[in-house]
Amino acid sequence: MMAGVGGGNDFQWCFSQVKGAIDEDVAEADIISTVEFNYSGELLATGDKGGRVVIFQREQESKNRPPSRGEYNVYSTFQSHEPEFDYLKSLEIEEKINKIRWLPQQNAAHFLLSTNDKTIKLWKISERDKRAEGYNLKDEDGRLRDPFRITSLRVPVLMPMDLMVEASPRRIFANAHTYHINSISVNSDYETYLSADDLRINLWHLEITDRSFNIVDIKPANMEELTEVITAAECHPHQCNVFVYSSSKGTIRLCDMRAAALCDRHSKFFEEPEDPSSRSFFSEIISSISDVKFSHSGRYMMTRDYLSVKVWDLNMENRPVETYQVHEYLRSKLCSLYENDCIFDKFECCWNGSDSAIMTGSYNNFFRMFDRNTRRDITLEASRENSKPRAMLKPRKVCTGGKRKKDEISVDSLDFNKKILHTAWHPKENVIAVAATNNLYIFQDKIN
Amino acid sequence: MEYKVEAHRIMSISLGKIYNSRIQRGGIKLHKNLLVSLVLRSARQVYLSDYYSGACLNAQSEREGNEWDIMDSEREKFPPSATECDRAESPEEPQQSKQPEASDKEREYRENDDEVKSDQADCTSTLQQEQNPNPSLDSVGNVSPPETINEPKESPSDSSVAERQSTPVANGESHQAPKTHVCSNRKRSAEESESGDSPQKRTKVASSNSKEDEEGEEMDTSNVSNLITIFGSSFSGLLSKDSAKPEAEAEDSGQICCDQMLKNLNPWSTAIVAF
Repeated sequence: MMAGVGGGNDFQWCFSQVKGAIDEDVAEADIISTVEFNYSGELLATGDKGGRVVIFQREQESKNRPPSRGEYNVYSTFQSHEPEFDYLKSLEIEEKINKIRWLPQQNAAHFLLSTNDKTIKLWKISERDKRAEGYNLKDEDGRLRDPFRITSLRVPVLMPMDLMVEASPRRIFANAHTYHINSISVNSDYETYLSADDLRINLWHLEITDRSFNIVDIKPANMEELTEVITAAECHPHQCNVFVYSSSKGTIRLCDMRAAALCDRHSKFFEEPEDPSSRSFFSEIISSISDVKFSHSGRYMMTRDYLSVKVWDLNMENRPVETYQVHEYLRSKLCSLYENDCIFDKFECCWNGSDSAIMTGSYNNFFRMFDRNTRRDITLEASRENSKPRAMLKPRKVCTGGKRKKDEISVDSLDFNKKILHTAWHPKENVIAVAATNNLYIFQDKIN
Repeated sequence: MEYKVEAHRIMSISLGKIYNSRIQRGGIKLHKNLLVSLVLRSARQVYLSDYYSGACLNAQSEREGNEWDIMDSEREKFPPSATECDRAESPEEPQQSKQPEASDKEREYRENDDEVKSDQADCTSTLQQEQNPNPSLDSVGNVSPPETINEPKESPSDSSVAERQSTPVANGESHQAPKTHVCSNRKRSAEESESGDSPQKRTKVASSNSKEDEEGEEMDTSNVSNLITIFGSSFSGLLSKDSAKPEAEAEDSGQICCDQMLKNLNPWSTAIVAF
């Protein structure tokens, strides 16, 4: 049994919950497009292709039940983005939520940023559990009383009411991106954030919506000379002047905003030399980085390309310190994957709270975890069959050739429509959220 | 040979993807299209390097015949409509106009008119070497703003292209003029069929939607074959930036052929330009 990934040898992943419709017919709007825990892990937000955001809140831990932590229940649902039409370019703007990023909590309310292809919104999620009652300004039927007939001043009293969670858009950051926004990242100063599209990165102040600073612009003067685009960007978790962005060519640039107003010249350039023996028509596509994430420590960063995950030490630019193969067996299938567009799938990756393990998704509703210390890896599946409460997840294995053993699945049997692109790891505990098309699976550890 | 078949197949698939991307919701995805165009370029290099390594030793006329063979085989795969066929066969007047797909993309992604279409001008000027300019050139050119931007650029490139065309450099190059001619003809034919319907199609806010609808109907056949021949040129931008890389990969004769041809002729780079 390949246990032990994520912390300790007695470690087992167990099913906890699944959210979403069971129906085989998946409505496109219900497809989850982003998953994100907040800083404490108490809240879990998902965005979908229909432009909706659903926030789950963790229950307080119950003392009676066997060692399992609180469950996540729906806390708030709201429509973040609507489809829009750009009349000038005759283009429809999708309402799909590309990214959600939480702001650190500073008062009773919670704030998050959500973005579609063109517009970023700051949402305030607040609770209301009291209502003012006792006004004597209206009649029973609701009409305003004649002021002359009011002879006493009655101060309303706050009475408890059923909890209502309200989401309201506090800021709308629009019209700053010509191309499709692929990333947003809150800066560690908690005052600014960056947004990145295919060719540009902008720096915003959370309070100011009518302007932003352009800090990276890789648009060539002659668009015919375009050879690479920005695929992801992130702020450093501690140094508010540092950010990174990845490109479609498999490179990562680290920039320091202190160096210049326009960070077109990188401070560090991370690239691994290509292995010439593995060159094919599709080498360029599979080297395109789909996600970049700093470790919590800020010392490392992780990049995801089509077939692998790489961990980079920020102090070493010429190659990654660790490389993990996610589904190397797909390398011989690249042509088919190109035909069915799967080769363009953008997988994300995430760190656990202690940076000792990393996780990323694959096909057939498989997801992979790698323990950086023990070098062990595990493949698990998010499926309804393994959905009994607290059921242990059995490791899965893909048969790459030769005789297929029992319980293995052959590469040709993999369902490429069932892809896990978005996963999230609780910032402090071993609880993970895995988005499988329109379902959200929550798994947690069970310590023996 | 298997490699060549595979390369051809990948080229067809790539063209289909680029075409489909225009009608996808949310607008054209720059990243995906860039990747597809890179695959297309790689496939095309392999395809052509196979072709030219054998063909460079043959006579020019023979090559021309081969060229048509290739076009015909592609046409077999995607049988064109009758009108397309007729137009392709007859000599076409040059038009200074972009690819319909590219022009749509350009409309959809234009910002501040800052795209430069110097290579596209190269293409038209190439053809002008060999045929009389047609008054329709001006009429089409006048319809939309980007065309007028291009016109001033045409004259300088005229001379430079003329020089390149007239200097016989390598075996591969000598047959380029006829190949150019052939390619451009078919491109023009696609151009004409599309643009003939209404000059208003060139305007910005336009009927890109209606155009797409109409193209959607014909898509599977004639347009794809035209796209393939259109791709007989193109990607000058991508090659020029990555000149070190492709040179390492392709064999010399094939490389020279590819490079020269690809640098001279454009139309598809306007697809990228459109972004």
